[in-house]
Amino acid sequence: MTQYIIRRLLQAIPVVFLISVICFFLMLLAPGGPQAQFNQNRFVTQEQVTVWLQHWCLVRNPGPLDILREYGGWLGVWNCQGGSLLSAHGMPNFLPAFLGGGDNGMLHGDWGISIYLNQPVLTVILGRLPVTLLLMTTAWIIWLTLALILGVIAAVRRYSLFDQSVTLFSYTFYSLPTFWLGLMLIEVFAVSLHWFPSQLIESPRISPGPFASAIWWQAFWTNPGLYGWDVAMHLVLPVTTLVAVSVAGDSRFVRSAMLESLNQDYVRTARAKGLGEGRVIFRHAFRNALLPLITNGALEVAFLFSGAIVTETIFSLQGMGYLFYQGLLAHDYFLLMGIVLIGSILVVFFNLVADVAYAVADPRIRYN
Amino acid sequence: MSTVVDLNGESPAAEGRTVGPPPAADVLLEVRGLKTYFHVMDGTVAAVDGVDFQLKRGETLGLVGESGCGKSVTSLTIMRLVDIPPGEIVAGEVWFDGREILSLPMAEMRKIRGADMSMIFQEPMTSLNPVFTVGNQIAEAVKAHRPVSNREAWNRGVEMLAAVGIPAPERRAKQYPHELSGGMRQRVMIAMALSCDPKLVIADEPTTALDVTIQAQILELIKAMQERTGAALLLITHDLAVVAETVQRMAVMYAGKIVETGTAEDVLLDPKHPYTQGLITSIPSNVPRGQRLNVIRGTVPNPFRMPAGCRFEPRCPLVFEPCRDFDPPLRTTDLDRRAACWLHYPPSERPTVSDVAVPSAPVRTERVGKR
Repeated sequence: MTQYIIRRLLQAIPVVFLISVICFFLMLLAPGGPQAQFNQNRFVTQEQVTVWLQHWCLVRNPGPLDILREYGGWLGVWNCQGGSLLSAHGMPNFLPAFLGGGDNGMLHGDWGISIYLNQPVLTVILGRLPVTLLLMTTAWIIWLTLALILGVIAAVRRYSLFDQSVTLFSYTFYSLPTFWLGLMLIEVFAVSLHWFPSQLIESPRISPGPFASAIWWQAFWTNPGLYGWDVAMHLVLPVTTLVAVSVAGDSRFVRSAMLESLNQDYVRTARAKGLGEGRVIFRHAFRNALLPLITNGALEVAFLFSGAIVTETIFSLQGMGYLFYQGLLAHDYFLLMGIVLIGSILVVFFNLVADVAYAVADPRIRYN
Repeated sequence: MSTVVDLNGESPAAEGRTVGPPPAADVLLEVRGLKTYFHVMDGTVAAVDGVDFQLKRGETLGLVGESGCGKSVTSLTIMRLVDIPPGEIVAGEVWFDGREILSLPMAEMRKIRGADMSMIFQEPMTSLNPVFTVGNQIAEAVKAHRPVSNREAWNRGVEMLAAVGIPAPERRAKQYPHELSGGMRQRVMIAMALSCDPKLVIADEPTTALDVTIQAQILELIKAMQERTGAALLLITHDLAVVAETVQRMAVMYAGKIVETGTAEDVLLDPKHPYTQGLITSIPSNVPRGQRLNVIRGTVPNPFRMPAGCRFEPRCPLVFEPCRDFDPPLRTTDLDRRAACWLHYPPSERPTVSDVAVPSAPVRTERVGKR
């Protein structure tokens, strides 16, 4: 098993590498660039923009070779400042710094700097992660629990009124656009009823600083009730939005997985043994229905980190999704690459987690 | 006598349901006028349409018929494992061990299932749960019916595995179904079925899914275990050779009805019903080499459009006047022999066209054993 995991982790390296190449080239081939923010600024000359771009190792309208160089710079193979494959010490740039290599790029642990925010990419991402994780994990736990309950009952009481209602509800919420649902919730529960706040994760009026910053934690530990409640109230509407659109798909998935295993011969054997219906459903049928759910669940965990772009944008939550959206608008290449890289590593990693969980849950699967 | 039985869900059978008198004490299982229908998209299929038979304690009975004749549904109805809906037990009584079990609440039925009455299924590959060890699955059956500890239940499982001839039962008990061969898995199914010393074992085509070389072993095993435990055996099969080797009495089913019953020897050597005759003459070993094999011409009737009279009438080589309009009830032809064919009725008892021909006329069924 250990050998299998090591092999899979090694296989992940080329996968992540390819993802980064494709993303980088697609992004830079797209028209526009970070210089666009100066287009309407009559105090900035074209020369100044060129110099500014050079500072980021970028050029206007890059050709394939320029993109390749820029990618090399991001990766750490190309020495941007020197403009060659060799570092300032005359050694190949990709070597570690203590062997005379360069110090730029992912290979040297440098995630680059966000052009738009002028801060190190890693600092920006780590600063935004707490909001996303809190929002997504809360929503995920709720929607998964609901999906399991609804899906299992719908499968056991197939074609009953309950099943039909769950189906109707599922398709209704599944078809609702997230942005519309979010806006409607804001309109009703924030604007009209004043029950919940419509924006942000904390109230600027009472919060000494942004959520999960050192100063916020300090205040939180002095009065956990006040600040905890504040965050919880801010979470209600975005979590509701996420749950409503996600529980629909997942409950259908649980239902079909359950239906399939309820129709298996071993379920009839379990009944023939004289077992109670609860034991038949949960021990025999559900245990087998769990297998496809594991894959689904593990991949959902990977996406918990990348956040919900639409929901975070609508509720102005300073999370990963909103960050990605802002980065896209600003052509903030290095920030976007950082987010994409984290996302792809997580997807690859949780795929592996799913495969390992499979082997734990199903004795028929063994990796050698 | 048999009013409509409502078995929907967990509720006890409909109130006011009248049942006949219980059968004699030596009768373990008696099925009277059993009708199980399936309501599907295209209409209603009468999978079991008036089946009567009887099984004495410790006796072996073979239920024989081709695919789709309703033999499996009969057994599932007796176990009350038919899915309702789409299934519906329209009429009939099933007396087991002195109780009419179609009227029992599900909770009572569960106490019988696996304990007094157990079942060996056709597909050992899919009938065992892939994610639990086989020892665990047998122990589970024991624990469901007996106040024993987990350890005792597990030991009983190992003991049963040894009894069905599985070598190194302690080690095998810890294995998962996929680690066992098909024959082994069927042995596990048999061990599971017999783990609570049932009074009746229903074996639904227990050898169909197995290699030919394993089939004989498994049949031997079922027979040996049946003799050792003294349980009654209801063996469901389409294989006449299996019946000839294994059971004392047999019942032949065709299109949801029993067409002939008797001792296995009598029925096989001297079949009374044209369908049984057709079956037996189509066994290859009965025909000299080089000669054409006898076949029953035609096909099984469409379940949505059963013939109004005798169900075998469209295919019967001996068809005559009353067959088209009147369905023959089972009639005692000989000592312990019964056949559902107008040929075995004296001419005076045969209906004629002057009688009112009602499609699938209500049948006055004689009780088995009441002769």
